[in-house]
Amino acid sequence: MGICPILHRVAALAAGASVRTVSGTVLPFPCAASPAGRRALRKGLLSALRGSQAPVIVDFSACRTLNHRDIDLLLECVAQAAGRDPQVFLVAGSTVNRLVLQVTRISSLVPVFNSIEEALAYPQTAAENNAAYPLASPSQKRGSPS
Amino acid sequence: MELGAVVMVPAGGDLSRMDAGQRRSTATSEKSQRVYSSRMPILGNDVLRSWTERVRKLGVQSLWLTSSPGPSRLSGERALYSTLAGLAREGIERLLLIKLKSYAEMDLADLLRFHRENRSPVTEAQDDQGRLGVSLLDDNALQATGGEHEFLCAGTDGGRMPYRFRGYAKRILAAKERQELVGDGLTGACAMRPLGAEIRKQVWAGEGVNLAASARIIGPTYIGARATVRAGATVGPYASVEHDCVVDCGTTVEQSTILPNTYLAPGLLIRHALVEGRYLEDLGSGAVADLQLAGLGSSILRRESLKQSFGGPPIDVFAGIGSGWGFAPFSTASQPWLQVHL
Repeated sequence: MGICPILHRVAALAAGASVRTVSGTVLPFPCAASPAGRRALRKGLLSALRGSQAPVIVDFSACRTLNHRDIDLLLECVAQAAGRDPQVFLVAGSTVNRLVLQVTRISSLVPVFNSIEEALAYPQTAAENNAAYPLASPSQKRGSPS
Repeated sequence: MELGAVVMVPAGGDLSRMDAGQRRSTATSEKSQRVYSSRMPILGNDVLRSWTERVRKLGVQSLWLTSSPGPSRLSGERALYSTLAGLAREGIERLLLIKLKSYAEMDLADLLRFHRENRSPVTEAQDDQGRLGVSLLDDNALQATGGEHEFLCAGTDGGRMPYRFRGYAKRILAAKERQELVGDGLTGACAMRPLGAEIRKQVWAGEGVNLAASARIIGPTYIGARATVRAGATVGPYASVEHDCVVDCGTTVEQSTILPNTYLAPGLLIRHALVEGRYLEDLGSGAVADLQLAGLGSSILRRESLKQSFGGPPIDVFAGIGSGWGFAPFSTASQPWLQVHL
């Protein structure tokens, strides 16, 4: 599977508020890919991190299972993204993938969502929550990823 | 009146087949119906032994131990029931039949008394969640319909008198209830106690455990015999690491059970789960992940396991029976039977 960064622009309507636009770069995770595919993801991720302030969303929806190479690649991506301004989000795509992300503790480093839409809505939700509960930790905030 | 007793253990072979079938479908399954062997230890205890102790207290001299046929093996089921009918022909007038699928702190004498008073051909113990797998059958019920014992088959209630059990019981074939039993055993909420020495308050360890100096063991927790917990690992609270497991460096195990001969790779977070070799079942969602595929865990093959995988007899059901049990092997028919002297 080739790497195809997709720029998503979605309009989210907050209750009683004006329409806001949120954007993000979605990178489908190259499960069962060749070494070249993995290099491409790495490159795509780095370029997405450099190129925009919008969150980068790594999507596992097409991955039925995660093997050790996938985990290694994911850890590398997380390490690359650490401390950078555009946030990296993960879309687990399945309960089993979410379980593996939890077991490897990746979900404690990077927010994990069930769908791209949820991930794209997160910064807005977080911003709203920051205004509503300025002292709350991310885990206490409404709309935080589980 | 002569009382006989039969304990049926879900067959190792059946479970293996079921497991193999599930592996194909549950490596990525969202919700599993994974079934665990009733011979897998719980806090080091063998549930079979707890039932045999209860049977012994009834004054029964010996019991029969067999593997129960799988639901699809009709011929095996018929053979089993005709063997039970054979026991009746040999003079057994009442039969206590225990399908080893639950742990229940049941007073079998009370069940027997209830059965006698109600004069029903079949009495079956039940709790709020249904059947517990414990029945009493009279000889006329055993010999009924020429071996086609419908009353033993799931889904038919004809002629059965329910015995309402209100004591402590847990089903042990499903992960969630197994873990509940572990928690109750660790906190003293049931009669089952961890098999080992209490090395610290609410921390029990079996023989030959190997705990690194920097490992944290948080009670209530059980570490089974010969288990290894490596540097920086954390086990507990409410965790059970059964015998011969290895928890590698920095891994955390909490509110979880690790079944025997399981290796867990470094740095993992195992929370609210049951791990059996390469498979991890999340107790909340029921999802099953293949840890081996992700390089995160595996089964530790012991010499005995290797012997079985290279064509040894399917002895899983009777594994561990022999030494220290007073069990004597008996001839086999279409399925293995052991006569157990109590």
